[in-house]
Amino acid sequence: MAILISFDIDGTLEVGDPPGVLTMEFVRKTQEAGILVGSCSDRPISSQRAIWEKHGIAYDFAVSKHQLPDVKAKFEADVYYHIGDREDLDRQYALAAGFEFFWPDEALGEPWLPLDGKSS
Amino acid sequence: MTTQNAPTSMYRTTEGLGVWEHKGKVAAVGIGHSPTTRRWDGTAENTMGANSIFALRQAIADAGVDPADIDGLVLDPVTTTGAHWPEEQPIPMDVVNAYNQTDDPLDGIAKLSAEWILKNMPELKNVKFTMYGMGCMSHAIVVAAQAVGEGRTHTCLVLKSWHNLEGRYNQSGISATDTVPGTFAMSPGRTLWGAPGSYGTALQFAEYCRKYGKSHDMMAPFMANSRRNGLMFPEGYWAQHRPEALTAEDYLNARWIAKPANLFDNDIPIMVSGAYLFTTAERANDMKQKPVYILNHASSRGAQRSILPTLDEVEAETAETGRKLYEGAGITAADLSFENMYDGFALFHQFHLEGLRFRGMQNGDALDFYQTDISIEGPNPVLPSGGNIGSGRSRFWMHTDCIQQIQGRAGARQITGIKPEIGVSGGPMPMGGNFTVWSASPD
Amino acid sequence: MVKQGVVPDELTKPFWDAANQGRLEIQSCSACNRLQNPPLPACSQCKSADNLEWKEMSGKGKIYNYGVVYDCPVRLLQQDQPFNLAVITLDDDPGIQMYSHLPGTPVDDVPVGAAVEVIFEETANGQKVPEWRVVA
Repeated sequence: MAILISFDIDGTLEVGDPPGVLTMEFVRKTQEAGILVGSCSDRPISSQRAIWEKHGIAYDFAVSKHQLPDVKAKFEADVYYHIGDREDLDRQYALAAGFEFFWPDEALGEPWLPLDGKSS
Repeated sequence: MTTQNAPTSMYRTTEGLGVWEHKGKVAAVGIGHSPTTRRWDGTAENTMGANSIFALRQAIADAGVDPADIDGLVLDPVTTTGAHWPEEQPIPMDVVNAYNQTDDPLDGIAKLSAEWILKNMPELKNVKFTMYGMGCMSHAIVVAAQAVGEGRTHTCLVLKSWHNLEGRYNQSGISATDTVPGTFAMSPGRTLWGAPGSYGTALQFAEYCRKYGKSHDMMAPFMANSRRNGLMFPEGYWAQHRPEALTAEDYLNARWIAKPANLFDNDIPIMVSGAYLFTTAERANDMKQKPVYILNHASSRGAQRSILPTLDEVEAETAETGRKLYEGAGITAADLSFENMYDGFALFHQFHLEGLRFRGMQNGDALDFYQTDISIEGPNPVLPSGGNIGSGRSRFWMHTDCIQQIQGRAGARQITGIKPEIGVSGGPMPMGGNFTVWSASPD
Repeated sequence: MVKQGVVPDELTKPFWDAANQGRLEIQSCSACNRLQNPPLPACSQCKSADNLEWKEMSGKGKIYNYGVVYDCPVRLLQQDQPFNLAVITLDDDPGIQMYSHLPGTPVDDVPVGAAVEVIFEETANGQKVPEWRVVA
């Protein structure tokens, strides 16, 4: 099953301002499991890219908060998730774009993974 | 000591007043800034009051003045960025008790009195003059300049502080209630109709674009230039915490807040304090830093006819402000080396520029001007401070930059395309603000 | 869109009472023969409170300007984002402006300059508020 996960940054990832609970290693492992990963944040897009590049993560996308529909249009997946820390700017945007949503602490349990730990 | 609001007689609000009677007789000689943070962390060390003390002591040290020689203090007692202390939330008494408190436990946390400052800065033992300039640093500066000019104080600290608390901007309090009072519902700003803070400016910008055939995209070079300048402002929020550029692509892909105002057209609320030391031109000669003389101050008290200022009203007011500034300083637009007018919201900076007739600009010219070289290296530096867009909401970066540019202390931000001899700064709004002309020479 | 409820206060009660009765009334200074909105305790021109009264308007106006709200501070309106927020000028006096969500007008497809007419909508507590619709 093809999975795409969009990460908010501030309040979600450890590199955010404020820092969130999800580490960059967590993102890296997620990608290694065959999942499409990227960021959807209020940070400038160039800043999002710089964060991924600094941590050596070959991200699939970096977009602004309102651009999740563009991500869905561009990438084919069976299921789309967004992880963020804000009700309005993360959860509502995600649901409106047809993404499923997890709070950062929920995401720690990798609820998208089947029991064998591989996405496809 | 009871501190009063500055009387209206201290402001130069009309045309025809002639050259300011204290032109070149008041000088800025010291600058101090606290570190920036996004929000209060709840500790005593990071309160707005603590930041205030830090900035004031920096300004005193920067000027090389004995604190006992300081006899004046002008500040803005209102410190909110839009965040108000929730009524139901207990006030942390350990924080309150970490300082010498006034009768109000929120003093030093979510508001600031001159009394609180004097109780917590015992070195200011000879301050006899205190006054409030309500609104922002632009306001406090003109009050302090006038006070020094009038001889009410000879060595005066000027302070503006901001507190920011948890929660999204303006979304608590009355925005979250089920009913509102009738007067509030009809008020021009936050209303029953849900206008965000930048809505009024967005509409003026929309009208501007329709009238002159311009577009929001044309703001991108100004925004990139402002952030670039801000990242060279080591005292600023972005430079200290998130040194990230703002490219044209970043700007044009930002989400809307109140279209045509997007996320980056709005400045980010932060915690920060800034302070200056003003003194007489005579005393300034004996101080550590090169004096920067105040040639004039002027204030706009424009009022719209109805709910929102129309483009015609804005353009008439900013043009009048420009004329008042030049008349009182005894200069013309051609004498301006650079400008540092307010930018928080970015979409009204062009009104200030065109009102000043900066570099011969007429109404409708500014966005085309933004497509030319407006960098600090060029002949026409626009907002070399980077303003609030470049460094977060302080409303004082532009004043600091004017002083530093003229002193030659702007560091990486130093203007090189021209010699910075006369600058102008001020704000906040085109229809209401306070403005100052700064100069390397008193004449 | 359901707006926050309104609790009329002394200054604005005539406006809200008129709205409940389907009339648009605007404060006026009879000495200056001049309308003002929002209402104030005194005339903004002559500064006197002695000659203030409320005048019924025709209920006709024009769309002067508009923006689209995507990030609204008011909780009750957030579920309706994005929405139009326009400024209407009254035909009785184009210097007088009123806000409108322009019910019936598609988001960001607002005909600036078009004629509009007043309607009255209920807010969350039943108080009616003037709104404006584009005249077909």
